[in-house]
Amino acid sequence: MPPFKDEHILIIAPGSQTTLAQLGLPESFTPPTHRFPTRMFPAPDGKTFEPYKIRSRKKLVTADGDVEMAGADGKPEEEEEEFIELPDDDEGAIYPLKEGRIVNMPAFFALLNHIFVTLSPTLHTPVMLIAQPAWTAKNHEDITQFIFEKFKTPALCIMDSALATSYAYGIANATVIDVGFEKVDVTAITDFQISGRGCVPHSGGEGMTRNLVELLKSKDLTRDMAEQLKKSPICEILPAGTPLPGTGEAAEEVVSNPAAAASTGATASGPNVKITDAHGESGQHHGAGEEDGDGEGEEKIVDEDGNLDIASIVTSGKTQEFLAKLEKEKKAAQRKANKDAKEAAEAAAAAAKPIRLPNSKRPRVVFHYEEIIQDEPNPKRQKTPESAPTTTAEETAAPAVENPEDDSNQQKTTQKEERRIKRDIEIGVERFQAAENGYMDAIADAVYRTVLSVDDIAKRQDAWESLILCGSGSKVRGFKDALVNILNNRYLVSPSSATMFMSELPSNLATPSGTGSMTPNASVSSTPNQPPTANAVNPLLLAATTATNPTLNPSASMTSYTGNQAHSSHSQSPTSIKFASPPSYFPEWKSYEEAMFLGSQVAAKVIFVVDQGLSKGFLSRVEFNEEGPAAIHQVGLVY
Amino acid sequence: MASQPLSSSVQPTDVYGGDEVSAIILDPGYSSVRAGFAGEDTPKSFLNSYYGVGADKKLVFGDDAIHNPLAGLEIRNPMAKDGTTEDWDTATQLWEYAITSRLTSFKQADPRTNGLNDDLKDEKDVDAEMEGVQEGEKPLEEHPLLMTETAWNSTKNREKSIEIAMESWGCPAFWLARNSVLAAFGAGKATALVIDMGASTASVMCVHDGLILKKSVQKSPLAGNWLSSQIRSLFSAADPKVDLVPHYMIASKTPVDAGAPAQAVYRKFDNPPTPSFRALEEERVLTEFKESVVQVWAGPGRLNSPTQAGSTNLDFVRSQPGRVFEFPDGANRMWGVERFTASEGLFDASAALPIPSEETPVQKSQTIPEMIKASISAVDVDLRAALLQNIVVTGGSSLLNGFNDRLNNELITMYPGARIKIHAAGLTAERRFGSWIGGSILGSLGTFHQMWISRKEYEEFGVSIIEKRCK
Repeated sequence: MPPFKDEHILIIAPGSQTTLAQLGLPESFTPPTHRFPTRMFPAPDGKTFEPYKIRSRKKLVTADGDVEMAGADGKPEEEEEEFIELPDDDEGAIYPLKEGRIVNMPAFFALLNHIFVTLSPTLHTPVMLIAQPAWTAKNHEDITQFIFEKFKTPALCIMDSALATSYAYGIANATVIDVGFEKVDVTAITDFQISGRGCVPHSGGEGMTRNLVELLKSKDLTRDMAEQLKKSPICEILPAGTPLPGTGEAAEEVVSNPAAAASTGATASGPNVKITDAHGESGQHHGAGEEDGDGEGEEKIVDEDGNLDIASIVTSGKTQEFLAKLEKEKKAAQRKANKDAKEAAEAAAAAAKPIRLPNSKRPRVVFHYEEIIQDEPNPKRQKTPESAPTTTAEETAAPAVENPEDDSNQQKTTQKEERRIKRDIEIGVERFQAAENGYMDAIADAVYRTVLSVDDIAKRQDAWESLILCGSGSKVRGFKDALVNILNNRYLVSPSSATMFMSELPSNLATPSGTGSMTPNASVSSTPNQPPTANAVNPLLLAATTATNPTLNPSASMTSYTGNQAHSSHSQSPTSIKFASPPSYFPEWKSYEEAMFLGSQVAAKVIFVVDQGLSKGFLSRVEFNEEGPAAIHQVGLVY
Repeated sequence: MASQPLSSSVQPTDVYGGDEVSAIILDPGYSSVRAGFAGEDTPKSFLNSYYGVGADKKLVFGDDAIHNPLAGLEIRNPMAKDGTTEDWDTATQLWEYAITSRLTSFKQADPRTNGLNDDLKDEKDVDAEMEGVQEGEKPLEEHPLLMTETAWNSTKNREKSIEIAMESWGCPAFWLARNSVLAAFGAGKATALVIDMGASTASVMCVHDGLILKKSVQKSPLAGNWLSSQIRSLFSAADPKVDLVPHYMIASKTPVDAGAPAQAVYRKFDNPPTPSFRALEEERVLTEFKESVVQVWAGPGRLNSPTQAGSTNLDFVRSQPGRVFEFPDGANRMWGVERFTASEGLFDASAALPIPSEETPVQKSQTIPEMIKASISAVDVDLRAALLQNIVVTGGSSLLNGFNDRLNNELITMYPGARIKIHAAGLTAERRFGSWIGGSILGSLGTFHQMWISRKEYEEFGVSIIEKRCK
């Protein structure tokens, strides 16, 4: 078999929403060249799948919006129909992956095929497929069989996505927390092997969006709007225990301006009162809201007036009528203009920031929502150019003093004449609560549980010290800090005062004597009659006192101060919790949410090019022919 | 089973001969279910035996689902205290989950998976599900199944096993093996004295040529869960009393001095989780305590027995450094001699701490040395030497610090002059999954393929075939 070349390697990394793919390894590893939405559409024949929505319409007849795929099925007058592809439409889509699991294998195969055809690799192309942790052994076999038989590939490697992430970071012991679309996978890795898995179902990025929709029910926030809100910089996850703005401290801070103080207090109480059930657990904001409730009456009217405006137009039937009118007048040229306008708005917003309070201190913030309107026969993204400048003008004009009237004015809605689809919605403290109601707790518990399921107790501390957060869901502002905060608050084991000092006290007093000599991890076959060794000083204490002056500690911190031995009186973990720092030697990689893809390139290089199969990193075609799909379990980097 | 190998000439014609499809090994226990493919070194699927019953009577399986502090989530276990199956309906679902979640694909017809998708029932999901339904109905149609059972399993239970495998799961072939025998196989022995320290039951028995010697079977409840209750007794007797607060109750904790009362912020629950949920979560803390603090006095002698110097071993232990354990609420203290006393009852009935909920104190015959003695003396004298040279220790609770040293010391005292050799796997996983690994080895042997009870045989003879074939 000729050696594989860099430019031939095909990498496919499926996710529940987006599948990343790339043909060839560049000189310096880059983010994926191709992104495919992980969805397929039933083809008109009802059996196969198509990558885009296909809608049939009768020739010479204007397309009827209601014609459905199924309806087109089996009708004899086919020559009169023509099929059109709607690349941006996702109605009726089939998502082959759900929470990482493969729920529709034929559709998944069709997706793989589509990717393969799009990238059209050579016959010498080995395939590196990144597997989701939830895939079963049978899934692996089926995929192996499909890829070999369909693509005639000479070699296949299936690699676990968490493992790929640890390859990207180059860390042998790590805990990978992958915040996906609807799930959070937690994988503990020791020595580049998977040694513990956990999963939080019904969470991920979508879980946060759902929380937002639930919280902002009173504002008639649709899922799309919540999604945009989640991605916007105003949505943040505050570390547990941080008082929400408008309650407690935050109100005190702005007390210099009486008007503003009143407004913050009252506005904060508004939404709190409205959605009490969602706040059931978080008693603190609730109470604070009631305290500030003096000016509530008049404030609320203004508030609700503003809300009614939006509510009625955004989601009521009127919106539909109104959108229908718009549809008739769509022009492609607007798209670019929109983009410019949006950028301008963002730039202006960024420029306006410094004079404002930090987001986390502001009880209310105006959220700019842009709706994308689908045109039935010829879908184009539609945003309004005119709205942005006016908004930015208001933005900059809106001073640090948050005037409630300003706010209500800002709640401009669409104007028919100008075809405004952009809306400004005032969002209160709900934007900080996307990860409440036990969302973060469940993730933290999964992390704890997963690390504790590592068999090798000595390795657990290492896994705690290199947490890796990845997955697009973790892009939400403050996610990482909030997670670290909760892990530290709840699970961190502190050095006990019982072992802080040396064991020079008379031992017959039954005084606890924490010595470094009894390392619990290594004491499986303890010989108790052995006297305590000379090194009766807590190594942590020794290390701490000699840290600044290494010469004082000739026995070298190498032995006693590395990794999990930090304070050895504990065999409990974690004694410290840290996030691993991402590698800095990949200039093309700016953010590491998709580090998994970087790792897959590293692994592909090692497995296909450097190693050439010596250590059975991949399944070759010959092996597949001899042993069948089950041979995939003997190779590769899955378990 | 290995006692009656069939030569190729007398091989029945209706045996299952699927060489290329690997068998699935299912090893259910009181605390966990292990499942995986034959020929692999660890089970791919490791599932908590405890399951949750939601407020809406929906069952949830697996660690990912049962640790959420939801109101009304009841935690139950389908296994009886002696490690046999009690609640067959749930056990079947639990095992099915163990197999389908990691080994074979999820089948859409499964009510559980449908339940998972309930909250997002839009049309596209329904579409996807409808397609899956047509694929297949039974989860194990392709794979022969090797299941394990305890040595004291009832005939009724055994017949139920094959019925489920054949009727509900559609297995092409089935075999039922004793878990102790498999543990011996896992250690590479056909003849051995097997000491299995499980969660609910500790057992000792003699295995000769792959067959259990029935009279030698000894079991007692002095195992992992009993040790947990010993630790609870220890906590309530400790001064100051230790409150066992599981992690889910804590919002954040603050470091406090050793022995000082905890200063933690507790989470508030409008609808507090059920007591069974709390018990499950407390057990997690106790597991950590066992892993990092508890130790078995390694010997020589017992913890209370005097040493040559005139003092007792207990005094010696007191002079040894203790270990600190920090509880979820931040309270921490040094555990000195207590960490030995908790486990001493496994070997010395008089040292067992009283458990408030149980009236009858630990019987001497329940301790491990006594069980070994009883087991050995129940077998032929000629066999004893061979058994003592092949002692296989398996089960998660045998991972207690110092357990094997103590066992060795006890055996030397009991059988002076005999050659004693203990085989205990060094790797944690091999010890915990001992019987599964034995099953994996057995299931991948070429000669074992003649042994399977095929579907045809089952259809011809019915459930009673299990008593005839699996001895």
